[in-house]
Amino acid sequence: MHDLQAPLVRRRRVAGDVFVLGFRAGPIAREVRAGQFVNVLLRPGPLLRRPFSVYRAEGELVELVLRAVGEGTGRLLELRRGDRVGLLGPLGRGFALDPTAGRVTLVSGGLGVAPMPMAAHQARAMGMEVCWVHGARTAADLCSEWEGDEVRWATEDGSQGVRGTALEAVPEPAGQVLACGPIPMLAALARRWPEAQVAVETVMACGTGVCLGCAVPLTSGVYTRACTEGPVYRAGSIDWERLPAPTHRGTAP
Amino acid sequence: MTAPPGGDRRPLGVVGPAPDWGGPLEVGGVRLATPVMAASGTFGFGTEVPLCDRRALGGMVCKGIFLEPRGGAPPPRIVETPSGMLNAIGLQGPGVEAVIRDYAPLWATWPFPVLVNLNGETVEEYAELAARLDGVPGVSGLEVNISCPNVHRGGMLFGHDPEPAAAVTAAVRARTRLPVWVKLTPATGDIAAVARACEEAGADALCAVNAFVGMALDVRTGQPRLGFRTGGLSGPAIRPLAVYLAHRVAQAVRIPVIGIGGITCAEDAMEFLLAGCRAVQVGTATFVDPNAIGKVVAGLRRRLSPEGAPPAPEAPTGVGRRHSPVRTVAGDRVVE
Repeated sequence: MHDLQAPLVRRRRVAGDVFVLGFRAGPIAREVRAGQFVNVLLRPGPLLRRPFSVYRAEGELVELVLRAVGEGTGRLLELRRGDRVGLLGPLGRGFALDPTAGRVTLVSGGLGVAPMPMAAHQARAMGMEVCWVHGARTAADLCSEWEGDEVRWATEDGSQGVRGTALEAVPEPAGQVLACGPIPMLAALARRWPEAQVAVETVMACGTGVCLGCAVPLTSGVYTRACTEGPVYRAGSIDWERLPAPTHRGTAP
Repeated sequence: MTAPPGGDRRPLGVVGPAPDWGGPLEVGGVRLATPVMAASGTFGFGTEVPLCDRRALGGMVCKGIFLEPRGGAPPPRIVETPSGMLNAIGLQGPGVEAVIRDYAPLWATWPFPVLVNLNGETVEEYAELAARLDGVPGVSGLEVNISCPNVHRGGMLFGHDPEPAAAVTAAVRARTRLPVWVKLTPATGDIAAVARACEEAGADALCAVNAFVGMALDVRTGQPRLGFRTGGLSGPAIRPLAVYLAHRVAQAVRIPVIGIGGITCAEDAMEFLLAGCRAVQVGTATFVDPNAIGKVVAGLRRRLSPEGAPPAPEAPTGVGRRHSPVRTVAGDRVVE
């Protein structure tokens, strides 16, 4: 784990209001695995850090994908090249790829694309065949980047690919299933593939396992920490009814 | 009995001897390596915080425990607020037996003292916990938590008034030879009266203060943003409130006071020391910077060195201005 001051190196738009920011943070880039995250400190900025899955790690660069949903993300998108943020990471437990499955299907909804490029990259490096299924509200909201052997799209308004959520567009046999996205999508996915691995988003403070703020309720009745035992869980182990979606003050739903 | 907040012109002096910066200092029966401790609930059981300079730690208060394990409050458990955060964790944690078995043996090998934060729903539960921890190697003291806002029974309810606060303190005192510190809640009409009651009931030190009760609503749903509905407000947002209350407590009692509330840097810690505290605890700042305590201590070392000693009586204009000289903390010396 590292706590680095990382300068913004590059930025690009990948969907309507979704951007990828690349920070120079070599030690984190070299260690991070798909599904892990970094906790980002902005100064000046809000008191607490903001957790982000690592989108891509390339050489010295750590890339994050985000949309302005609140104060922290708003400030991140105002950064200019060379501005520094604090990056604490890599944090959490990432995806556990199983090469014996032969094939992996990545299911992402909206900003759930976040951990997928790394997952695709790692899976291909292990010799797995990668199918990426990505869903969003409209064609304009779909992430323009994808990685793998095959990609399928889904949009709620049917403007591109299958009409519906990414779940509707998953071709069978899916092989190993990794997913990230809105909680209702993941809850539905858990009913179909209880063995899938899902990366969940929660409100979080420390990111290192101390504050117990990022509680994820399990069907066994206990709470676990998204930052430490997660953020990747076996889909069937989560008590989805009791897992609230993170909300952000001052933004439209 | 209660000093009017604005009218008190007594000097802001330290209550006891200034912290002995040349080495460990003794505060309320506990030998601290530095005057900066980790606050309960923000340092886990001491094994969870990475990248912290442990040589800077004066001591640590572990996450609050009950006799039995507890599952904690439903999520969401955290809401960020301006310069602060609301939390309602609900004292999730293992019970006392697991702490004695899994953590105390580790603590016994560490160079800084560990106090256990005690919680109960009844006076007898606090007493039972105290008895259970008495004589356990690795436990250097007890911090009696009569101020947790995030449990339905016990906790903060004991801290509202002098009588129940004294009853818990006396019951714990009677069942242990360990140093007994009491962590006070700001949710009381007269914190000085509660402080004096705890002192008379046998407390060795007082910690002031725990989080303030707060609430945040989601205007789209009309629902509270915390699963527990209310939570404890902490962070820099509460610092002026906490400095004031810690000062009130320090003026009310002879036993040492440990200041808590929104400390993020050495200057913040200095405020509490100048207000009469013998040591401080850093809490929420550790969530933001795992090495917050290391940085506070490094800054204090610079400020409390002879060159860095604050020019106390004259500047800035303050409460103690009319009462020169003001005793202030400067390393192991007292500057008059």
